[in-house]
Amino acid sequence: MDPQSNEIAAPPAAAINRRGFLRTSALFSAGAAALAASLKPLLELKDFTSMEQFLQKYYKEMTPADMAKVLARITREVERQYGVRPDVRDFKPMDGVEFVYALNLTRCIGCRKCVHACVAENNPSRSPEIQYIRVLKMPHGSLDIEKSDHNYNPEKVPEKGFFYMPVQCQQCKNPPCVKVCPVHATWQESDGITVIDYDWCIGCRYCMAACPYGARHFNFTKPSIPKERLNPEMAYLGNRPRKLGVTEKCHFCIQRTRAGRYPACLEVCPAGARKFGNILDPESEVARIIATKRVFIQLKEDLGTSPRFFYYFDV
Amino acid sequence: MRLANAHVRIVLATLFAALVLVSVAFSLDLWSKPGQVRQLPLVDVEFLKTETWRRSYADLVKANADLSDFDCYTCHEEGKKQELKFDAKDQLVIPDEHSDIVMGHGTHGRNNNCFNCHNDANLLRLQPRDGRELKFEQSTLLCGSCHGPTYRDWEAGAHGRTSGYWNRTKEGLERGPSDGPFKKQDCVNCHNPHAPKFPGRKPAPPPNHLRDPRGGSEPPPPAP
Repeated sequence: MDPQSNEIAAPPAAAINRRGFLRTSALFSAGAAALAASLKPLLELKDFTSMEQFLQKYYKEMTPADMAKVLARITREVERQYGVRPDVRDFKPMDGVEFVYALNLTRCIGCRKCVHACVAENNPSRSPEIQYIRVLKMPHGSLDIEKSDHNYNPEKVPEKGFFYMPVQCQQCKNPPCVKVCPVHATWQESDGITVIDYDWCIGCRYCMAACPYGARHFNFTKPSIPKERLNPEMAYLGNRPRKLGVTEKCHFCIQRTRAGRYPACLEVCPAGARKFGNILDPESEVARIIATKRVFIQLKEDLGTSPRFFYYFDV
Repeated sequence: MRLANAHVRIVLATLFAALVLVSVAFSLDLWSKPGQVRQLPLVDVEFLKTETWRRSYADLVKANADLSDFDCYTCHEEGKKQELKFDAKDQLVIPDEHSDIVMGHGTHGRNNNCFNCHNDANLLRLQPRDGRELKFEQSTLLCGSCHGPTYRDWEAGAHGRTSGYWNRTKEGLERGPSDGPFKKQDCVNCHNPHAPKFPGRKPAPPPNHLRDPRGGSEPPPPAP
């Protein structure tokens, strides 16, 4: 009868011996460490939706006091993130105003200055790139978008035998993107601008599928904007910086046009091909163009979207 | 019984090792690398400028710029009627002193004579066909004397560059911030009067494709 072998063969049932304790606790601590390590990526999620933003009311239900609070929160967030103090405002539509855009296809030279002026104005992500305007190059004598090319990069534009057609949000009177939004995060305002509340968007991208013009863009990553290129004049429904997982699109530069100014793409156009104004005002240049110019088209007219964006020619 | 125990031990040890490996991998973040978005070059600020590419005489006066190019009588003799020279093919011969001027007004080549627009007796004046004499600042009226429909469009803001504020109604509606100045450009701010057709220019960079691994300005390969 060896006392040692006796001990190993019949350990007391519920007793804790040293080896067992060490082994169990080593396993437990390793498991806990592994669990903690697997949760580590959560630490990198810095931009949690704040409780304030989470409890924010729907845009149309906000009182002016609510809106002031929200604008203060956005100012704070932008300042923390970019180190630039923005002037965020909420511009309301004006009475007796309906915005319309007219673009002269005879004049457009395809220089893409509008694309980049828009980017500079509206604070979209630079990497990866989001651009609201796409300039299509098409051969003379047709208007077949299937034959268009937006990657052209010759030494000089315009090229012989081609014309250029910039396409952006058409601000439809009958917008398919608004109909499909399951949370009413996008809607049409009384001055004709279809807007998006980036705080209400859930990122389902139904609107992108519905838009026949490819005008809506999605933030697949957190947008990156260099601090020195941030435009500090911002609007709630306009160019305030977006976050990961929301859609965005052209909003006729709401922060400029609702303050009376022309959109950025118009100001920069070297050919004067872009015209913008109030269609309800017979003195406006868009009213004159639509009344007197020989031909004007709405892109994909047959879909019944009824764009507020007119393409015209002058001979 | 002992064999089964050994088996259990091996399984447990393997699981333990795997867990440790997984935890190490997580801590070192071996597979998910956030921030691998390629940084694209920023567009040249040259493309963002809203200035016109030419400056009119009125702009030069306003900017107190050097106007010696417009002082014809430092070289020409005052009071002397200017004569044009033509070559054997009836084409205007531009003297060497004016070799910087490229004549290209219209595609037919018949509107390249200096005194179609300049006054031949007073070189400081412009001369539309209706007999008026215009100063250099009034060049837009000269252009309008031939290009009537374009001039009417320009007057309404429908031709040419505009900037500023969109509200056109004269009285101004009760809209507060929407009212403000509206600026039209003169013809010569965009068109060279001697060769008015727009010159070609370098386009701004094309879009960078999200799905293009090269990600650069090259287009994705065409679909078969």
